[in-house]
Amino acid sequence: MIEIPPRDPLTQPQGVEEGYAHTRMRWPAEPLQKRPHTVSELSGPLLSPHALARRIAPVRGGTQDPSGSKRTDPSRGDLAGHGERRAIGQLIHLRTRIVDEDGTPVPGTVVELWHCNAAGKYIHPNDQSTSPADPNFYGAARLVADENGLIELRTIKPAAYAVPDTGGWWRPPHVHISVWGRVWLSRLVTQMFFPGEPLNEYDYILNAVRDPQARSRGIARLAPTGGGPADALVFEHEIVVRGRKAAPSL
Amino acid sequence: MPRIPTSEMTLGPFFPREFAQGANDLTIAADGAPAGAVRGEVIEITGRVVQADGAPLDNLVLEIWQANAEGRYDDPAFFGWGRAATDANGVYRFRTIRPGAPAGRAPHVNFVILFSGLMRHLQTVMFFEDAENGADPVLNAVQPPERRRLLVAKKRNGTFTFDIRLRGEGETPFFGD
Repeated sequence: MIEIPPRDPLTQPQGVEEGYAHTRMRWPAEPLQKRPHTVSELSGPLLSPHALARRIAPVRGGTQDPSGSKRTDPSRGDLAGHGERRAIGQLIHLRTRIVDEDGTPVPGTVVELWHCNAAGKYIHPNDQSTSPADPNFYGAARLVADENGLIELRTIKPAAYAVPDTGGWWRPPHVHISVWGRVWLSRLVTQMFFPGEPLNEYDYILNAVRDPQARSRGIARLAPTGGGPADALVFEHEIVVRGRKAAPSL
Repeated sequence: MPRIPTSEMTLGPFFPREFAQGANDLTIAADGAPAGAVRGEVIEITGRVVQADGAPLDNLVLEIWQANAEGRYDDPAFFGWGRAATDANGVYRFRTIRPGAPAGRAPHVNFVILFSGLMRHLQTVMFFEDAENGADPVLNAVQPPERRRLLVAKKRNGTFTFDIRLRGEGETPFFGD
């Protein structure tokens, strides 16, 4: 059995953030309720990684090769494209490992990643930014972690962009990441940031995390450039989903 | 080595539409399961999601996790997980199997709500108005007791309506875990 320890208020955002106006309209005013955890909250979809990949992973940039015709390894994705279809921007590889609170890898978990293009534009129709779309860039991939809890994504580095109607809030370059985790209560949605970005210091979302060490764990590490692919910068990152092995009952 | 969970952050406004497409029908059998493997009464769950000023929320993401018709979470034919996004009127829709009662619980559907302006996701639970809910330990944990009715979906024909208000008058109870 798995257990889910309570959230640490220093390492998790608390709801309403002064600089982020939507939070005052959307975060509940009432205190969150406490409840016992039963099998319902401590279970999750049971499918094997390959069955999961077949059922939910076939989106562009996910388990398909660049031609979109045949499935490749579900733990590896490619949003950057090749040759004449190569997206514009700095080529990067993300290596993200998913572990639980014991540090044990979580193989077979679904990982969804999305980010804007090298001009700061998302593929989403609700993005009203006047920045140009890139016809060779589709910014969404759905992967399934391999036996070591690892996913790898070849993509381009997203740009910073201004958040409309906020009087000068710029989002630093970031990648949105959604992880299912082992059970329902280990569901995690987060964002990954890049090292050395001056905007990291001012971002209302990153800085909603009060503990500086927790913030720095949200920033990927640039891997040594000597050992990686010749044409891409490699960024490494660890994601910890909630849950640890329950202590045996006495 | 023990680790501290990664800090949660908002979904933002641009969750790819493709990630929600086709995921709101839980009656589709898991891959490899024979046709008709998903047993039970087919129902629809629908509702409208609004914020503090009553405005409906577009492209908000809801995910559900539920037991099969026998109240079990280990049915290889029944996926049990679904995702829907709201439309411009704030309305979401799931097609699923009516869950049975898991051991010690009333029949229920777990909800996660993800959206821009939510620094981390919200958890809530839907119950069925025509079921025996009095002994459910999660429903009974909601305080004050007057708020429990806000988690009970109304039935009309085969459709259960579960409206969600994120904040303000009639605010839906959410769980902190």
